[in-house]
Amino acid sequence: MNIKEVKEDLIYLYCITDKAPKLKEIENSADKPYFIFYQDLYAIVNKVKESEFAEENLKRNLADLEWIKIKASIHEKVIEGIMKNSCVIPFKFAAIFNSEDNLKTMLSRHLEEFKDILEQLEDKEEWGVKIFCDLEKLKEVIIQEDGEILNIDKEINSSSPGKAYLLKKKKEELLNIAVNKKLNEYGQVSFDRLKERSQEARINKLLPKEVTERKDEMILNSVFLVEQDKVAVFLNTIEEFKTRCADKGLFFDCTGPWPPYNFC
Amino acid sequence: MDRQIKTLQDKNSYLDLQKEKRITLLEVLDRALDKGVVISGDIVISVADVDLIYLGLKVLLSSVETMERLRGSPFSGAAEEPT
Repeated sequence: MNIKEVKEDLIYLYCITDKAPKLKEIENSADKPYFIFYQDLYAIVNKVKESEFAEENLKRNLADLEWIKIKASIHEKVIEGIMKNSCVIPFKFAAIFNSEDNLKTMLSRHLEEFKDILEQLEDKEEWGVKIFCDLEKLKEVIIQEDGEILNIDKEINSSSPGKAYLLKKKKEELLNIAVNKKLNEYGQVSFDRLKERSQEARINKLLPKEVTERKDEMILNSVFLVEQDKVAVFLNTIEEFKTRCADKGLFFDCTGPWPPYNFC
Repeated sequence: MDRQIKTLQDKNSYLDLQKEKRITLLEVLDRALDKGVVISGDIVISVADVDLIYLGLKVLLSSVETMERLRGSPFSGAAEEPT
């Protein structure tokens, strides 16, 4: 039986750009990528081991969260390094090709498409905005602001146990309606405002508490493609929201600039 | 909250993922695994695989947190990483 040679012949594609990448910039990261030039495009790639990334092995490794953590961090670092000097099309984690030729074939097939995307992304940045809400805090605020609920609240104190019970139910009902209304309002208003200050905007699925590990609820998970010269205005808008909503149990989480994962 | 908020000002520190807080790891995983261009490589991870990763994410993040807590404990004389 032949002993299988240890090969390093799979190609991992990080991103595509149209300017000569400055690979020196990312030399210190855990990876040493190189580029493949095809027509006017540079594909930032590296050779990876079949033992890690061949289909079956990749599936096995995807069950290992420590492995994913390390590899996804490298993925992000490399792309962010390239992004410092040019606009990029980030690829999804573990886009693997069997050979450089296969990668070039893919590039030739999508050449015009990639060029168009890069042109559209030029001078723009992706920013993420999540809004979280401490529902108990918001309820307190609503009780103080909502005349009807405030009245019921007072009435409860001076009512017989039976009536108080019914009034409490009524209060809960009104409170839930008011909370939902407020949440929609805050989410919608914030999103609309930020959308006006960006080129493109998208809403992503809300992440559950099990994933965010926060005590408060995520009420908006949005991403924006912002023109570089408008980023300051965009961030200022968020600062304004923060100031205005600090005492309402709302928390704004803004991150960026990210590779434009959401806009390719 | 101890979450990291990235702005233009601290872009450089944000590039150093080793120092990042767990929330940023979540952000990275959320983007790199779930978004980005998927035009057919020879091997691409499937949607089902990504969902599996999400299921496991909680476990990963809590273990990171546990480690941080142990390291940062004021009684950390004997606080070694759990093996």
